[in-house]
Amino acid sequence: MTANENSMIPPGVFESLQRKIDDDSAVKDALREIVQELEKQDRSTQATLSRAHSTTSADLPRVVSSAQANIEQEVQTIHKLSEVASKHPYYKYNYAWTRHVQDVCYSILLCGWLGGFGKSEVGQLLSMEDVGGIMGVPVNVKDRDVFHLTIEEYLLALTSLLDELARLARNSVTLGDYRRPLQIAQFTKDVHAGFQVLNLKNDALRKRSDGIKYRVKEVEDVVYDLSLRGLLPKE
Amino acid sequence: MESQSKDGVAPSTSPFMPMFERFRAELDEHHDRRERIIKASRDITAASKKIIFTLQRIRKLNEALPQHAIKSNKQYQDTIQSQIASVSGDLQCLHTYRYSRQISGGCQEWMEAACFQHYLETTTLLSYDDAAEKFRQLDEAGSGIELSPEDWLLGVYDMTGELMRFAITTMATTGELLKPSGSSQSDDDGMDVDGQAHRQRSVLTDLRELRAALESLNVGTGPFAKDCEKKLAVMQTSVEKVEKALYGLVVRGAERPKGWMPEIGDAGGGGRAVEVEG
Repeated sequence: MTANENSMIPPGVFESLQRKIDDDSAVKDALREIVQELEKQDRSTQATLSRAHSTTSADLPRVVSSAQANIEQEVQTIHKLSEVASKHPYYKYNYAWTRHVQDVCYSILLCGWLGGFGKSEVGQLLSMEDVGGIMGVPVNVKDRDVFHLTIEEYLLALTSLLDELARLARNSVTLGDYRRPLQIAQFTKDVHAGFQVLNLKNDALRKRSDGIKYRVKEVEDVVYDLSLRGLLPKE
Repeated sequence: MESQSKDGVAPSTSPFMPMFERFRAELDEHHDRRERIIKASRDITAASKKIIFTLQRIRKLNEALPQHAIKSNKQYQDTIQSQIASVSGDLQCLHTYRYSRQISGGCQEWMEAACFQHYLETTTLLSYDDAAEKFRQLDEAGSGIELSPEDWLLGVYDMTGELMRFAITTMATTGELLKPSGSSQSDDDGMDVDGQAHRQRSVLTDLRELRAALESLNVGTGPFAKDCEKKLAVMQTSVEKVEKALYGLVVRGAERPKGWMPEIGDAGGGGRAVEVEG
């Protein structure tokens, strides 16, 4: 790699490329550290939220407020992430955190559905704007290059919520709550109807949304079992 | 909007419809843009390949391109320009990196052609800064497309394959390796190709220099590093093909009758034309 005059390679060409690659690796390392922290925090949030499967409606608020406290910590980490990420074009390193931001989004959606974040009753869907507000980041940004929550992340998190609710429908019955499966059935159907108006390409979102119909069926089976035995609550 | 309390009412439409309709509009816009970019990338790739074909018919180094080459490549250059103009607006600001994977193929192939042409004309490597500037200027009216350092490097890797073909074809048709100095087509028996003067540059010494530079690059980890690894192996094979061809030329060249020319038809097929003559 001599850079003398009689050389094909102009001086400094590969040296400056090496610098670019090294800088790039340093950014990736810094991001990885933050993302790992986020991952750890979200695991603990998920562990808290999974207590909902064995908690009666009356005790649910305690689970929810504990999860919400966890999520507040995650939001701080997202703030850190956004600070580092904002120094670079958003989509350049977006792959490094998109899955984890999606997981946090899912935690927030589930917590909100269970009555967290000021939702007075169970069964509410936090909108993408709500989630962005909780995370403290803008959503679906199109005109400037800043850290934000994307539509894809929100929608993928929403499919995770439906997976979890299908499980919750069964476990509610076990806990003797025969009203909640009805609520989940309606919610799942409504979200399913929404996904059906989307024109999805052959991507991750398509794959995940294809699974929704099975969740609809699962929950309907629970409702069917209850109605067969006359266990559905009378309105 | 999200009232779930009307269980028994059996509402015909989901309360989430307005939200999803908004999402649909956004996603449609995204997919349309993505497809436009993929198509442009393919067209840029195809046009760049055709440019390379033309360039491979050139037999001189360190000279401006002959008129016929410029003329026949004009249409492909125009295609590239118009394709870039058609999508450069889709690749600005936030979208530069959002769709970088979709445009990357075209960028790499363009880089390969530009780098090869630059070598033929100047016998030097087209630097990243110069390449990026050149690429940006292809979009006369708009703000251009960014050439990433990654695409530059992958284009350079591919260019070594073109240099290999160029070197071997030249050897097979003229009986010697072209020297970047251009004018020194001296001896008639082709014996001097590389061995005679060690300091003298040839396409092979340039290839070796490039190989050494590429081999000592530390590309880190990730998908890009994996691409580099694959292309590095191909590049090494290319250099060795030229070395083998040269070996054949040197060791058997003396037995070659004066004025003997290998079959032109074999010329493109790697080192075979050279080996047949023994």
